[in-house]
Amino acid sequence: MMPPMESAQLRSLTVAARKRLPSRDRKEAVAALLLLLFLAFAPRIHAQAIPYTRPVETAPQENTIGGGYKTLAVQRAKPRDYWFQVLDVVILGAAMGIAVWLVLKRRSRKWATVLTIGSLAYFGFYREGCICPIGSIQNVAVALTDPKYSIPMVVTLTFFLPLVVALFYGRAFCGGVCALGAIQELVLLKPVQVPPKLDRALGLLKYVYLGLAILLAIRPALARDFLICRFDPFVGFFRRTGSPHMLMLGGGFLLLGMFVGRPYCRYLCPYGGLLTWCTRLARRGVTVTPDKELDCGLCTNACPYGAIEHMRAVRKDCLYCARCYASCPRTKSELVTLS
Amino acid sequence: MSEPVTRRDLLHNVVRGSVLATLGGGAIFLVQKAHGQVVWQVDASRCSNSRLGEAGPENCKLCTTECVVALSAVRAVNEHSKCGRCAICPAYFNITSAVDEKGLPSEKKCPRDAITRKPIGRADPEDPANNFYEYIIDEEKCDGCGKCVMQCREPLGLGSIVLRVRYDKCVNCNKCAISRACPKDALMQIPVEQALQAPEIRHSTE
Repeated sequence: MMPPMESAQLRSLTVAARKRLPSRDRKEAVAALLLLLFLAFAPRIHAQAIPYTRPVETAPQENTIGGGYKTLAVQRAKPRDYWFQVLDVVILGAAMGIAVWLVLKRRSRKWATVLTIGSLAYFGFYREGCICPIGSIQNVAVALTDPKYSIPMVVTLTFFLPLVVALFYGRAFCGGVCALGAIQELVLLKPVQVPPKLDRALGLLKYVYLGLAILLAIRPALARDFLICRFDPFVGFFRRTGSPHMLMLGGGFLLLGMFVGRPYCRYLCPYGGLLTWCTRLARRGVTVTPDKELDCGLCTNACPYGAIEHMRAVRKDCLYCARCYASCPRTKSELVTLS
Repeated sequence: MSEPVTRRDLLHNVVRGSVLATLGGGAIFLVQKAHGQVVWQVDASRCSNSRLGEAGPENCKLCTTECVVALSAVRAVNEHSKCGRCAICPAYFNITSAVDEKGLPSEKKCPRDAITRKPIGRADPEDPANNFYEYIIDEEKCDGCGKCVMQCREPLGLGSIVLRVRYDKCVNCNKCAISRACPKDALMQIPVEQALQAPEIRHSTE
């Protein structure tokens, strides 16, 4: 605390300072300051002071304008027709069905690749990557928590359909339909096996990402952020535009994806996390059956996703690429009879 | 049944069934509150370029810079039925620029020269400059910077030019990139039935 002596001294000093400048002088100083201020702003005020007044108070209509003038209609482009969106969902379902049939029944790597290319072309480059089940996690999370948020029917179906399919046949969506998966699938040239321990550890990242995305999505409307869509690494390629750093990130993923099989799907994709849970309960899935005469293990080496362990397919990691079948000598026509 | 059901299979079926029921329940719950289709649109009563006293000397250009489409899907649209058709339009001309020999401001407002105009209606033989003009915005040039929108509002203009999402350009992102950046939260999802309606008359101040 300040001693009372000092405070009193200070007050007397201030009073003295005020007395030294008489009030008349102060008024003059203020006036001079105002004048200076005015001068400083005067040129700008002058420049803006071009006399402009609005000539009309209401919009003149056809009869006022005269001369046979017809008001131009404003062109209003329609949004994409609803039936096309329903068609997207139908195509999504059909593609998953075809993927299941091609991989589980036909065991055809060639036709599975054709389907992958088709899905990349349609869902990726034609539909420009939106809407996808991965991003729809956020819409569903918001819709479940915020009663005012309106979720389109199509988005709801897009979210649930692949999960239901996964409950019966595994991750057919990942292999046959997903555009993000397809672009990585097609750049995979020289697969390197990731050590199983590292693979498992990195695989946990996707649950962290899933949790983070949901937490950010269910915040109040103004603070809401759709993390998955914002950091979608490949959507920039699908739209042939995007911020440089996101395109670089996507390029980095593709470069990595040439050697490590589908890095985004295996380690980051939050929807992959949900599909993994459902796939654990799947009724059927890709199976490799070693038999007594032939346990060459070619399929284990062929699988770029580490989804064949001890000569058994691990359904939750299987991404429906059918490389194991393509590598198997048994499926070649002359060996098929071997049993 | 050819084979007896093992305990493992039974458990599997029960768990699968319950997960399926959960998913189905969730889907039915969401479908009940689901909307047919939603699209993004700019709410002119919130957009700071439209609202009087909101933007400073520099207007907000986030619609131009944030959109994921190369040339933003948000464009300025002149609602002709509301346009004052002024001879000296504050959105067409830079009305603070020097006046040329014809008595018109020498500079135009649009940085991309996307607005064209032509005289319409009865020509006044006494005063040919005092005419009505039709202002047309070339959508292929406009990038939605909102400079004209900022001028065409009370008290200078009637507020006929607004920023609108053009659905033929918009890819209808799950979360619109502009909406994420917009400080006024002016981009909102509306049901498609409202999408083709003319924009509401702007509130000058609120």
